[in-house]
Amino acid sequence: MSVLRLENLCRSFGSLVVTHNVNLAIPAGERHVVIGPNGAGKTSLINQIGGQLRPSAGRILLDEVDITGWAPERILRSGIARTFQKNNLFFNLSVLENLRLAVQARRASGFSVLRPAASHADILARAHAVLAQVRIDADAGRLVRNLSYGEQRQLEVGMALAGDPSVLLLDEPTSGMSPAETVGMIDLVRSLPAHLSIVMIEHDMNVVFSLADRITVLYYGEVLATGTPAEIQANERVREIYLGAKH
Amino acid sequence: MEIYFAQLLNGLVYGMLLFLTAAGLSLIFGLMNVVSLAHGSFFMLGAYIALSVTRQTQNFWLALLIAPALTVAIGLVMERVFMRPLYRRGHLDQVLLTFGFTFVFFDAVRWIWGSDIRKLAAPEALQGSVEIAGGMFSTYRLFLLALGAGLALILWLVMERSRLGAMVRAGVDDSAMAAGLGANIPALFTGVFGAGVALAALGGVAAGPVLGLYPGMDGDILIPSFIVIVIGGMGSLRGAFVGSLLVGIADAFGKAYVPALSMFLIYLLMAFFLLVRPQGLFGIKGGVAPAGMVVAVGMAFNRPQLARMLSLVALLVLAAFPLFVADYHRTLVSEIFVFAIFAMSLDLILGYTGLPSFGHAGFFGLGAYVVIVLGSLFGLNGWLGLLVAIPITALAAAVIGFFCVRTSGITFLMLTLAFSQLLYSIAFKWRDVTGGSDGIGIAGRPTLFGWSLDDPLALYYMTFFFFVLCYLGLRRLIASPLGHSFVGVRENESRMRAIGYATGEYKLLAFTIGGTLAGFSGGLYALFNGFVSPEALHWSASGDVLIMAMLGGAGTLVGPVIGAAVFLLMKNLVSSWNDHWMMIIGVVFIACVMFFPGGIWGMLRDRLARARA
Amino acid sequence: MLEIDRIDTFHGESHILRGVSFDVAEGEVVCLLGRNGAGKTTTLMSIMGYLVPRSGAMRLRGRSIAGLPSHQIARAGVGFVPQERGIFPSLTVRENLTVFARTTPGARWTLDRIYQVFPRLRERERNLGFQLSGGEQQMLSIARALMLNPDLLLLDEPSEGLAPMIVNEIVEVMRGLKKEGLAILLVEQNLHTALAVADRHHVVNKGEIMFTGTSAELEADESVKSRYLAV
Repeated sequence: MSVLRLENLCRSFGSLVVTHNVNLAIPAGERHVVIGPNGAGKTSLINQIGGQLRPSAGRILLDEVDITGWAPERILRSGIARTFQKNNLFFNLSVLENLRLAVQARRASGFSVLRPAASHADILARAHAVLAQVRIDADAGRLVRNLSYGEQRQLEVGMALAGDPSVLLLDEPTSGMSPAETVGMIDLVRSLPAHLSIVMIEHDMNVVFSLADRITVLYYGEVLATGTPAEIQANERVREIYLGAKH
Repeated sequence: MEIYFAQLLNGLVYGMLLFLTAAGLSLIFGLMNVVSLAHGSFFMLGAYIALSVTRQTQNFWLALLIAPALTVAIGLVMERVFMRPLYRRGHLDQVLLTFGFTFVFFDAVRWIWGSDIRKLAAPEALQGSVEIAGGMFSTYRLFLLALGAGLALILWLVMERSRLGAMVRAGVDDSAMAAGLGANIPALFTGVFGAGVALAALGGVAAGPVLGLYPGMDGDILIPSFIVIVIGGMGSLRGAFVGSLLVGIADAFGKAYVPALSMFLIYLLMAFFLLVRPQGLFGIKGGVAPAGMVVAVGMAFNRPQLARMLSLVALLVLAAFPLFVADYHRTLVSEIFVFAIFAMSLDLILGYTGLPSFGHAGFFGLGAYVVIVLGSLFGLNGWLGLLVAIPITALAAAVIGFFCVRTSGITFLMLTLAFSQLLYSIAFKWRDVTGGSDGIGIAGRPTLFGWSLDDPLALYYMTFFFFVLCYLGLRRLIASPLGHSFVGVRENESRMRAIGYATGEYKLLAFTIGGTLAGFSGGLYALFNGFVSPEALHWSASGDVLIMAMLGGAGTLVGPVIGAAVFLLMKNLVSSWNDHWMMIIGVVFIACVMFFPGGIWGMLRDRLARARA
Repeated sequence: MLEIDRIDTFHGESHILRGVSFDVAEGEVVCLLGRNGAGKTTTLMSIMGYLVPRSGAMRLRGRSIAGLPSHQIARAGVGFVPQERGIFPSLTVRENLTVFARTTPGARWTLDRIYQVFPRLRERERNLGFQLSGGEQQMLSIARALMLNPDLLLLDEPSEGLAPMIVNEIVEVMRGLKKEGLAILLVEQNLHTALAVADRHHVVNKGEIMFTGTSAELEADESVKSRYLAV
């Protein structure tokens, strides 16, 4: 049974169609990579699943519950977490503060005013666990804006993991990374728990083929093909799009 | 029939004057994303300079040329020297910078021309009146109508038909692209700013014979001009024109037929438009760009031991202080305590949650009025009044906050301003209860365990106690998970939502807590002062507390306390030997915005941190 | 004409361009190829002065342009056609063309000549910018840059998001400009568009230039194509 299912998902801005009849089913634990040229509607798709963008038509189901049109915070609390293409962090707060905010969001103690945040041991323990999971070696007290770009990218993943989601949406996790950092990110994603389902947008084909169980190719908002890496590599239409049509 | 016609004409005349200020304000905002609070000051400066010119030359027409020219020169200095270095910073810094200039200009006008109401003589040729449709109308008003319409037409032609106008519109659409095609955007900024100042100054001169000249005329034209551009849409000339006429006519008919409600009318109009059509009638900027708030960065999560020692010492000094000084100083420091609570309460909203409220005095004044009105009308004990003030201001803050937190940035700023001015109008108009503009007082202060608060020493310890209580309470709140969530909202709202926070609820909560605390400080002020007038709710009072918070350092708790102390000490000490405390505080504030964006405390802390490193 | 010498550009803390070097000679069409996020647009932004490289040199006709404000770079002879086209929505087509035009008498590009080359724009002369289709916007953006009578044209993915027929039209326009001797720096993801127009190609990946060569060399190099361009 699939954890996440998209049924005939559509979204347009005026006359511009960014998502057209997208159907997708992600089984538990699958690593699913979405690729496609610029403007194919990849980020729009992630934004709809994450609730940042409301679909015009169609349904999004999480464990067979219709979550279409829910507010982002409600979608998150039901188990879908996401990262952003551009680092979207609390740059002026420390690494630990960032993770603490992410952890306490899903706990009742988030509204507590009686004790200082630093003394909530359960929150702190979870924050440190996530820190180890995303392999940030830096001092947890450092301000995020002083981290290297690659570390910020890793923290971006950590922020999503903090709430212990069942589905993780990664929007170009390696964008802007150096080749060495990219290898690190591939390792990191591989090390995530096997039961976690991941939907990932990625451009770096090296990353795509290292991680994907299945690949979906988007083109002008439509699903051009879905299949295993081998199937996608053999697909003529896909090759054509990536090398461009002949003139 | 004639009466309607007369009101219509009056409304149109006022609308034209509004248009001259609003057009510049709107263009400047459209191109530079700067809300210039000093724009009303240029209106005022134009009028006063014209006063001097007509005195020298007896020639109104000459004044109509010279006064705007001189005002533009002043405006350009302000833009090039002071505003330009700030373009890379957030909008709030620029708003605050121009607010600092309103102090300087206000005081300069008082200094040079005095505080009395003056009137500019209309030129002789226009002093008669004309009969139209059976009614008599002053020729000068008809001239104003023609002048406004003529300028609007010229402005429209320049903007829509000339290449220069096309450049400005291109810059409003996409200034980066325009630069990439060779447009010198900074020069364009300066040009548009200068033109805006010229229009405002021209409006000031033209308004002189009708509205009169007085320090304070700046705010009286600025606030309605704001309302005009909110209604018409920021950055749109057509919007400014339609909005001006709408507000002008609404104001004229309101004053004539529902005088009791006339002041509400335009605020209600604005609140209505902000909620229903936040981009305005002809708004070209989809919504208003979020104010990239620049507040003091970083928080003191782990206070070092040193700070704890220092706080203890400060506490002891403050506890012992009144025993060694005169009543005058005891009272002054009591007042600082009250305003420190007020400034801290704003800082929870502004510095910690990142919401630029420009109407915080509304809650302060409401709390004060509750205590005083209950005391004077029902003889309610001041302490009980204070207890009643808390739920009432909490309710008001929750209701007002419910509307305001749905917006952000400049829209939030304007909406909070509108609501506080609404409260101001109520206090001003509801004479039976509030005493109107005269204010209202209570006979005696309550006692503290048998010790009358009329004794400055008792007053001191009472305000000191509540100050420490509020400080500790806020410190605890800010260190708690909830307080951290407020900071998260300030730092990155979209990320907060993406990790599962319903940020609207958090903003409303912060706004309500801050508003309630402001109401509480207002209640304390009532006990302290024994008297309250509408001034306590006025937008300039909201500006004062904003200055306190920013001057000391927003986003810290100590900062607003320092800011309140510096502000009140300057106001009291400087005014005792020199009349120009406004000028001085304006200059200090401008310097602070430009050079110490973290405020006094922020600067001190950075220095300390650097010295330690 | 244009020399880019080992520039490093950052977006905040993220290191986007890592020592990028290349040049464009008089009358030459050079193409930067690469996938999304490779750093192609960042290169153009650096040349235009929107982003200032932390190190390295950039020269236009031998004169350093590093650190100059964008408008001075434009006035020095660079015509910029951004990826999003940057049409001013509240200006008419004609105003878009003329507002920042630099058409001295005897200049190569005048409004009349533009209308000859892009007859569609004459028909739409009085329409506002936002009323145009994607293809028309692209034409207008190119035409607007030509109205500056530049020595060098920067084109950021002019074929992106357009129907194949329109892409062909744009390719024809670029070929025409090349024939007139205009130097062009083209950014492309589409290999065939690039081969159809450019003389030399630089393949960019993760902010570094991985391959430099002529059209023939690129076409022959299967490993570069499969590693940096193909699936």
